[in-house]
Amino acid sequence: MKAKRADRIATVVFWALGGITVAILAFIILEVLGRGLITALNPRFLFGKPNAMASGGGIFPMIVSTFYLVALTIMISLPIAIGAAIYMAEYARKSKVNSFIRFCLDSLATLPSIVFGLFGLALFVTAFRWSYCLMAGACTLAILNLPILLRSTEEAIKLVPDTYREASMCLGASRWTTIRQVVIPSALPGIITATILPIGRIVGESAAIIYTVGVFIRNVPTNPFDTAAPLAGYIWARQAEHGVPDWRAIVNGGAALLLIMVFIIYFLARYAGRKYQEKKLLGAGTR
Amino acid sequence: MSAPGGGATGLLGAKGARLADRENWIRLVMFGCASVSILSILLIFIFIFKESLPAMRNVGVGNLFFSTNYSPQVGKYGMLGFIWGTLFTTFGAMLIGAPLGIGTAVFLDQVAPERIGRVVRRGIELLAGIPSVVIGWFGLILLVPFLRTVTGTAGFGVFAAVLVLVVMALPTITTLSAETLKSLPLELKEASAAMGATRWQTIYKVLLPSAREGLLIAVILGMGRAIGETMAVQMVIGNARAATFSLFGRTSTLTTRIVTDMAEAPPGDHRSALFAMALVLLLLAMFLIIIIRFVSRERQLSR
Amino acid sequence: MAEEALENKMVIKNLSMFYGGFKAIEDVTFDVPARRITALIGPSGCGKSTLVRCLNRMNDLIDGVRVEGEVNLDGENIYQPGFDTIGLRRRVGMVFQRPNPFPKSIYENVAYGPRLVGIKEKGKLDFIVEDSLKKAALWNEVKNILRDSGQNLSGGQQQRLCIARVIAVQPEVILFDEPCSAIDPVATQLIEDLMADLKENYTMVIVTHNMQQAARVSDFTAFMLVQEQGEPGRLIEYGDTNTIFTNPTDERTERYITGRFG
Repeated sequence: MKAKRADRIATVVFWALGGITVAILAFIILEVLGRGLITALNPRFLFGKPNAMASGGGIFPMIVSTFYLVALTIMISLPIAIGAAIYMAEYARKSKVNSFIRFCLDSLATLPSIVFGLFGLALFVTAFRWSYCLMAGACTLAILNLPILLRSTEEAIKLVPDTYREASMCLGASRWTTIRQVVIPSALPGIITATILPIGRIVGESAAIIYTVGVFIRNVPTNPFDTAAPLAGYIWARQAEHGVPDWRAIVNGGAALLLIMVFIIYFLARYAGRKYQEKKLLGAGTR
Repeated sequence: MSAPGGGATGLLGAKGARLADRENWIRLVMFGCASVSILSILLIFIFIFKESLPAMRNVGVGNLFFSTNYSPQVGKYGMLGFIWGTLFTTFGAMLIGAPLGIGTAVFLDQVAPERIGRVVRRGIELLAGIPSVVIGWFGLILLVPFLRTVTGTAGFGVFAAVLVLVVMALPTITTLSAETLKSLPLELKEASAAMGATRWQTIYKVLLPSAREGLLIAVILGMGRAIGETMAVQMVIGNARAATFSLFGRTSTLTTRIVTDMAEAPPGDHRSALFAMALVLLLLAMFLIIIIRFVSRERQLSR
Repeated sequence: MAEEALENKMVIKNLSMFYGGFKAIEDVTFDVPARRITALIGPSGCGKSTLVRCLNRMNDLIDGVRVEGEVNLDGENIYQPGFDTIGLRRRVGMVFQRPNPFPKSIYENVAYGPRLVGIKEKGKLDFIVEDSLKKAALWNEVKNILRDSGQNLSGGQQQRLCIARVIAVQPEVILFDEPCSAIDPVATQLIEDLMADLKENYTMVIVTHNMQQAARVSDFTAFMLVQEQGEPGRLIEYGDTNTIFTNPTDERTERYITGRFG
C-alpha cells in the first residue's frame, strides 16, 4: 500500500534527521576535545601567562578575564532584571507600557551581537572615555543578556502564588513590603537557577567583547576598568593574527577549554533546575 | 506592649503619607529598571546612526548602500555586495536548516521514543550553547579542508559559511518548532489517527499545516540568528571584498566585513561605513521582529 | 435570658459593590456585634466572599472595583477618602479558604506581622509567637519545631498557623472566608472549638457554605442569595442564629435551610 510505504520511508527519514543532529554535536565535541584537551588540561597552559612572540604561552589571564566579566555582568544585569520583572509582574500587570517594553526586549534579543559590540565601543569605550575595559564589556553584555534574564526572572516571580501576596497584605503589609519580604524570597531559588544558563552565553560571547574589553593582556586584570582579554575573544584573535608559532595549539587548547566550561555550566544549570523542581514539589504539600 | 492595630482614628496621618510616598518612589525605581530596555534600544539606534552619519554624508547614501564598489583605499564603501552576502548565506542556511530543524522537531514530537527523545533534546541544548568561535574553528580546521579536497575550490566560501550557519541556527529552529508542535491540541492528532491515517499522513496533512505559523516564526528567528552570526562565519567565508553568486565563491557578509575591517579602520569614513553596515543589520533585525509580530497576530486571529 | 445591649463592632450600611459595570452585591445592611461570631451563609456565588472582602478592603486590590455605601468600624466609615487601609488590615484580619502559610519557618510566619510594625527585639517576638500559637491551639504541637517550614504541617495545622499569624498583629476583628472547606472533619472540629474560644477577645465574621457549621458556631447569621443569574447578591435575612435556623422570616431562607436548593 502506497501510504504504508510512504510512512515507512518517512519514519526512516525522521530517524536520520534526529541522528544527524546528535551526530553533528558528537563530531564537534570529539574533534575539538581531541585536538585540544591535552593542551587545555596542561597546568602550564592553564596557569601560565601568554607570550607575545614565543611559544609556550598560557591563558591564565584570559580565564580570569572571563570569570571577572561574568561576575561583573551578572552584578549589573541581575538587579536591573529583577527590578524590571517586579515592575512588569507586580506593578503594571496588564498595560500598554508592558506591551511596548516586551517589543523592545524582543528587538534587543534579535540584534546581532556585533551591533552590541559596536554600540559598546561607541558609548562606553569612546563617549564615556572608559577605554577598553571589563566594565565596558560588562555593561554591553548586561544589555545583551537583559531579554533572557528578564524573561526567566519574570517567570519565577509570576510563579509565586497570589495567595501569599493576599495573606501578606491582609496582615497590613504594603505592596513593596510584600514584594520584598514574601515574593522575592519565594522566587529567589528560581531566579538563581535561571541565571546560570546566561552565564554560559557570556562565556562564549566574542563579537560583543572584542570591541569593548580587549583581546590581549599579559597580566591578570585586577580592576574593573582594566583592559582584559576574555578567552573567547582571545582565541579568535589568535587564529586571525597568529602571532606566535604555536598559535594552533593555543587555539585548540582554548577552544577545548571553552567547550568544557560551557558544558559544565549547562549541566550545573540542569542540576540546579532539577533540584529546584524537586524542592517545589516536596515543599508545597497540604495534606 | 505596643498596640499595632488599635487606634481611635484610622485616618491617614503624617506617617501614612510618608508610606504612600515611599510606595510611589519604589514604583518609580522599578519602572526605571523596566525602561532600561526601552532606553537601550533607543540608545543603540541613536549611536549607531550617529556614527554612520559621516559616511552617509561624505560618501553618499546611494554609494554607500546601493553600490558594490568596495575599495576603502580609494574611498569607496559600497556595501551592497555584503548585503547580498548576508542574504545569500542566510537563504542557503535556511534551505538546509529549515527542513533539518523542522524534521528533527517532528522526530522529537512524533517519532522518537521517550528516552531517545530526551537524549536528542539534550544534544540540541548543548549544541545551542557552543560558542561561535568554537564552531568557527571547527569549520576552519575541518570543513574547509574537507571542502577543498572534495570540490577542488579554496574550501573557504559561501558553502562553508552556509554549513556553519546551519549548525548555529539549528537549535533555534528545532526548539521553537518542537514547542509549536507540542502545543497543538491532542484532539487533532487523535482525530486523524482515528480515521485510519498513517503517522506520516497525519504529520503532513494535519500537523504541519496546523503548525504553519509557529513553524514560520521558528524559521524567521533562525534567520535572525543566521543574519547576526559573526565569528563563525568570518572564519570560513574567505572575506573577499567581491560579491559572488557562486556557491563556492569567497565573499563577505555584513557582519564579517565589520569584524575583518574594524581593526584596520581608523576613525573616519571607513569606520563610519562599518557603522553604517551595523545600521543595516539593525534595520534587518527590526524588520524581522515586525514580520514576526504580524505573523503572530494572524495566528491569534485564526484561532 | 436577658438581652444584653450589644455594641456593634462593625456596621454595614447599604453596601453595593461593582466589578466595572457588573454589580456583584446590592444594598447590603447588617450589624457585626462585638465579640460575637456572625456567619454569612448562602449558596455558591451569592456574594458572601465578595462581601466579606469588602470588610477589610481587600477588593481594592482588584482593578475596576467600585463600592457604594458604608462600612463602619467603631463608628468610622472605612471607605472614606484618605482612610489608612494598611492600618485597617491590621485591625481586621483574614483567614483564607486554602491555608496559605508563607514558605518560611513556623516562627517567621507568626513573627511576620509584628515585624511589620517594627518589633525587632527577640524577646518580644518570642513572646508574641508563643502567645499567638497558644491562642490558636497550636503551640503544643509545634513548640519544638518552630524552625521547620510552615508548609510541612498538615492542612488543619497550617490553618491554625494562619490563625496564629493573624492573631499576632492583635486584630480586633477576624474574618474567616470558608476556613474549613479545604480541611478534614477532625481538624475542622478543632478549628470550630478554637473559634468559640477566640470569641472572648475578638469579633469574628465567618463565611461558610456549611449550614451546620454556621448553626453550631455562630451567634448571628446573615443569609444571602442571588435571585436569578446576572442579578447581584442581596442580603435576604439577618438575625440571631437560633431564630434564623428554627424560625426564619423569609420563605427563601427557609427553603435554603431545609435544603430545598443550594
